[in-house]
Amino acid sequence: MAPTVLELCGIHKSFGALIATQDLSLKVSHGEIHALIGPNGAGKTTLIQQIYGALKPDSGQVLLNGKDVTGLSVPARVKAGIGRSFQISNVLMDFTVLENSIIAEQARLGQCFQFLRPAFSDKRLCNGGEAILDRVGLLDRANQPVRNLAHGERRMLELALALAASPSLLLLDEPLAGAGPDESQHMTAIIDALRGKVAILLIEHDMDAVFRLADRITVMVEGRIIATGTPKEISSNKEVKAAYLGDEN
Amino acid sequence: MAGFITFLFLARTGIRENKVLWLLIAAFALFPIFTHFANLPFWNDVAMRIMLLGIAAMGLNLVLGYGGMVSFGHAAFVGIGAYCVGISQFYGLTNGWLHILFSLGVCGSLGLMIGYLALRTSGIYFIMITLAFAQMLFFFFVSLEQFGGDDGMSIDRAEFAVIDLYEPLRLYFLIWAALAFISLGLMFIIRSRFGVTLRAIKSNESRIEAMGLEPLNFKIISYVISAVICGISGALFASWQEYVSPDIMHWTRSGELMIIIILGGLGTLAGPLLGAIVFLLLEEFLPLMLGEIAPTYAENWMILFGPLLIMVVLFGRGGLMGLTTQYLAREKSHKTEEG
Repeated sequence: MAPTVLELCGIHKSFGALIATQDLSLKVSHGEIHALIGPNGAGKTTLIQQIYGALKPDSGQVLLNGKDVTGLSVPARVKAGIGRSFQISNVLMDFTVLENSIIAEQARLGQCFQFLRPAFSDKRLCNGGEAILDRVGLLDRANQPVRNLAHGERRMLELALALAASPSLLLLDEPLAGAGPDESQHMTAIIDALRGKVAILLIEHDMDAVFRLADRITVMVEGRIIATGTPKEISSNKEVKAAYLGDEN
Repeated sequence: MAGFITFLFLARTGIRENKVLWLLIAAFALFPIFTHFANLPFWNDVAMRIMLLGIAAMGLNLVLGYGGMVSFGHAAFVGIGAYCVGISQFYGLTNGWLHILFSLGVCGSLGLMIGYLALRTSGIYFIMITLAFAQMLFFFFVSLEQFGGDDGMSIDRAEFAVIDLYEPLRLYFLIWAALAFISLGLMFIIRSRFGVTLRAIKSNESRIEAMGLEPLNFKIISYVISAVICGISGALFASWQEYVSPDIMHWTRSGELMIIIILGGLGTLAGPLLGAIVFLLLEEFLPLMLGEIAPTYAENWMILFGPLLIMVVLFGRGGLMGLTTQYLAREKSHKTEEG
């Protein structure tokens, strides 16, 4: 059994009368792709935000590699091993692709408080940055300004930045949203290749991709988990069909 | 030794990348020769004021242009820098180096304090808080009767060991040296890992957090650096004007610094200096021009300056530096076509 990377214990979060996360517990282990699905407004992104540290749960604990990170800020959690891609692609738009990865590389090395040596012409940073891009096949676009990239390439760059620091947990919030069929296939292949290397919590609305990628699927409805299991178990689960998949049929 | 050679090499590539800035600085070094032969000594005075304002604007540009923090109270640091000189002289301390050290220390700590508090907010709140701090300091000095209050205090030019600032051009080249040194320093900071991270924070703060960096730390440090640079400008300003009053830290002065940066080009190294040159020249000449056309309006030169600023902002994306870079790029493409 692979070690547990992320463990949520009784996470609870409400905004006024709206309960966004209701006493939720969940485990994601190393190397697995764990998909989080559910209808709009089920509280998936709110949950990701609490794992990431942008929102604090009202009660409950977030454990990362067995360590309680509930009280930590976003940067501290990232340092503890979380990488993330956002629902709307989130890269440094005013820089080139390579510059993006160089900034990620210097952040990874934890050496940003240097005031003399130019960063973008630093050999070591350039090599590190190129290695980051190479992982997602963006190396040939290295000198392009990010503004010139297609949507799918930006998503790819964001994934590369999220992977730069070799996180133990990767949070992917709708990585396929807005991607064309080719881009979608490329992205799916890259996520698939990460299986076994890192724990992935994936939110995605593209059900084909979810059932192809996921080792386990958790279904959320109204802030609660109604089922967790392998894709096979989920697709035959009556409650899930009624609450969620049934809507589509 | 090897470090020094690398430094020279890095400085050379930096100067090549920022030709406009270093051409301007070289022009300032040669300017006194021109005024000497043209018999226009008054213009040395204008040039000194341009350089002083340029230094302060460069300092503000680090947070405003590169860091995206709209600080509306930076004149306070210029004023504090000047008052540090005045107050130390009041207590009998005449050494100019100590004055500058004193200004550095006070502006640095004030910048740290104000930055630490104000940078927890952003957007309009940040603008208002920095303005509020600046106004507090302004009225603090207005109420300090001991140091002249509203009327200000007169100051002797500071003593810099072997450099007697009352000799002709000594002050000019002291200010020039400060300008060159600060330009060099900023040039390195902007390209360094710290500077790159600062610019990245301006571009997208949440991505920087997602890389595991705390943006606040970078913002505070840049705020302190910019406060210190404005303080140096103020300390030299005191010697230039031989007088300091709270007027130097009035909120309209903060606005002037922002106008200079926007006019010259936000987030460019040469922009603030170019902006200071054009701003002060317009301040000299627009009233004269207006005086010719409509003498009663000569004081209201801002009537003409306002539309001019709007035109530069609208048509020259990135201010005067934006226009310059566009022009240079066009020249270059013409040349390659011909060649």
